[in-house]
Amino acid sequence: MTLVQQSRLIRTTVACVSVVFFLCLVASGVAAQKKFSRTYPAGQSVRLKLLNRTGTVTVEGWDRQEVRIEATLEAPAANITPQSLSGEIVVNLVRDNEGRGEVGNVNFAIRVPFYTMVDIETVIGNLSVSNISSGLVRAHISSEGDIVLLNIGASNVAAENVMGNIFFDGELQDGGTYRFSSVKGDIGLRIPTNSSFRVVATAPSTRDIVFYQCQSPDLTLLGDGRRMIGKCGAGSASLSVTNQRGSIKFFKR
Amino acid sequence: MNCEDCKALITALMEEDLDETRAESMRMHLADCFTCATVCEEVAAIVDVATVEGEDLLPEHHSKQIWCRINNVIESEQKPLANVDPQPERKGLWHFSFWQLASGLACIALVSSLLTVVAIRNYYEPAATDSLVRTTSNGVFDRVLMKVGLAETPQEQLERKLRERQATIDYWNARVQVRRNQWDPQTRAAFDRNLREIDDSLNEYQTILQRDPEDQLTVEMMDSVLNEKTDLLRDFSDL
Repeated sequence: MTLVQQSRLIRTTVACVSVVFFLCLVASGVAAQKKFSRTYPAGQSVRLKLLNRTGTVTVEGWDRQEVRIEATLEAPAANITPQSLSGEIVVNLVRDNEGRGEVGNVNFAIRVPFYTMVDIETVIGNLSVSNISSGLVRAHISSEGDIVLLNIGASNVAAENVMGNIFFDGELQDGGTYRFSSVKGDIGLRIPTNSSFRVVATAPSTRDIVFYQCQSPDLTLLGDGRRMIGKCGAGSASLSVTNQRGSIKFFKR
Repeated sequence: MNCEDCKALITALMEEDLDETRAESMRMHLADCFTCATVCEEVAAIVDVATVEGEDLLPEHHSKQIWCRINNVIESEQKPLANVDPQPERKGLWHFSFWQLASGLACIALVSSLLTVVAIRNYYEPAATDSLVRTTSNGVFDRVLMKVGLAETPQEQLERKLRERQATIDYWNARVQVRRNQWDPQTRAAFDRNLREIDDSLNEYQTILQRDPEDQLTVEMMDSVLNEKTDLLRDFSDL
């Protein structure tokens, strides 16, 4: 065997070993993940209540009368035991895994009828809700994570986290209540210019409150610019935005 | 002479105290006036009776004795009254003076007003609230109570509420410390990161409040951050 042949053989062997090693890694990663999937029929009134530990939660409204819950469970896999009772589907991973200590991330992808009342929480992780027109959309993160609410037409909306951004894109309904709160992050609200609402926006540290051109604005800055209060239009809805150490920005929808 | 003059002079006529002219004039009137003549006859009859049986009916110096008796009767009625405790049986409102009554009514009105205000406040305010914000929103009534030392000042209220909140936070923090060794490193790091951010905000607000204790907005924000901290500790204590 010539020197060239030996060199070629070594390279080929190294390449093969690398490919095998990579495939083993991928296979082990896939094997470490578990899948969870379940579908529930939905009536005219549906409520989804989800409490996650760590991981992302994505809820999307669709035009079907069923709730589909899919989840990817990282090792060590969490226990999931959803409950469906009288139109309410409850998934509580904190209760289901209490005292277990270390539990892997659980990433949810949930499809619900667009009229579903959505109430989701997580301790750590991102939350996303889209295409929901119901009485309630609530997204709460105990610590850090981003909250994105897209195409929302709910009459009661609440989004809270400690560290992370909050973005809301939707319509404010007459008589509705909208509350957004963060300690550190940026809060962005994209709403129609003809929205009618009363607003209290507070950004005490940054004083970074950027409002948009709404109809018939009647606004006042208080506390050396730390708070802005006022109303747009008739002031039908109630909007409260608090960002302790971040900015608040309104965008035209 | 008319009837009135005649009646006024009948006694004098009986006692013959009138001069001849006036006596003649009276006699002529009595001859013409039947009414006055009747009166004169009655007076004459009384005088006759008094004259005939006067010693039995009216002792000597009778008028003085009558007045003495009257005085004795009056004195005998006044002595028992003087010995009795004044107004012993009187009860009710009438033994109070006007000013005493007015003061009493004012006191009742004041106490009723206080009770009403307290009742209304208790009705509209949650009894177990631990919000810091309410402590500094004082009305005139609260200020009056503070002036007289019956209520805490805003600063005292704020400090008390902060101590209470800190006790709650300490409780949840103790539970977290028991559990945190079981968490994975990422969870511990996330918890510490978020707690540090909240504590930084609290320190910032405390600094502002030391400069300006009346800053309502900062009190409100501090209340909000304390809520965030309590929620964070409580949620992580369940892990």
